[in-house]
Amino acid sequence: MSSNSILTQEQQEALQEIANIGMGQAGASIAQLLDHFVILSIPKIVTMQPDNVAAALLRTVGPGNISAVRQAFHSILRGEAVVIFGEQRCSDLADLMGYEHDIDHTSEQELLLDVSNIIIGACLRGIAEQMKAEIGFSAPSLIADQVPIEKLLPADSMDWKNALLVEVNFSLEQRSFACHLVILMIEGDLKTLTDSLDRFLAAY
Amino acid sequence: MTVSVLVVDDSPMARKMLMRSLPENWDIEVTQVGSGAEAIAAYRTGKIDVMFLDLTMPEMDGYQVLETLRKEDLNCLVIVVSADIQPRAQERVLGLGAISFIKKPVDAQKVEAILKEYGIVL
Repeated sequence: MSSNSILTQEQQEALQEIANIGMGQAGASIAQLLDHFVILSIPKIVTMQPDNVAAALLRTVGPGNISAVRQAFHSILRGEAVVIFGEQRCSDLADLMGYEHDIDHTSEQELLLDVSNIIIGACLRGIAEQMKAEIGFSAPSLIADQVPIEKLLPADSMDWKNALLVEVNFSLEQRSFACHLVILMIEGDLKTLTDSLDRFLAAY
Repeated sequence: MTVSVLVVDDSPMARKMLMRSLPENWDIEVTQVGSGAEAIAAYRTGKIDVMFLDLTMPEMDGYQVLETLRKEDLNCLVIVVSADIQPRAQERVLGLGAISFIKKPVDAQKVEAILKEYGIVL
């Protein structure tokens, strides 16, 4: 876990705890939305180069087709948040949200956008709040609709060399629904991030 | 009398944040551990008065620690400290015998209020 060249051990621990608090807030939002108990995992933070992203996502999500929603954020740091849903998960979600019949494709897409927006907003606002930073978001957009996970974030689509990847998994205790939140914090702004983590550390 | 306090969290940062929020004038001896298994071992020494317990930990989580303590008569006061703020998480830990639930990031005043309520700190 500490094989991280961008952050010092202490900064890594601080970001880990900050991500943990953000995850908790996102988990509570999903629990409220779906009226089910959400099992949280420990957030994982790793340094990424564009070439490694696809493999990292495959490890997190597993093979198969996925749908994904992306939202860019800008705050003390810039980055992207992506919520990934596995193949079966969209219909599970519709079911959980109380749709009695199979929903049409458009409604399904809207549902993914809404749910992702809630997850990303809760998690990143929690993170920003810890860092005493304002945060803004782009509108959510569906960037993958039942495509193989390998095609989600191809290396040639990324205009950065190094990023921090924060991974959080949410699953429901009594249902098969699960989704993954991946946050890419992009190089260039990482100095702002480390300064902010240092201020956070100095307070404790 | 010196109170023996155990802080259980896999995150060193979270342990530090919690310890910073304990009342300054409280006569305590603090031990910190990074896993559920170590928490159980410390509990079994019989010297722990108050345990601050995280929920989301690898291998043995906070729920499992509470279940184990309950089987062993729960001879200490457990306050759960977690980022998992789902109402059901709180209900569960209280059902398992924790005296209180504090959400992360920890609010020092909340900690003091709970300790006073239970007469652990005056």
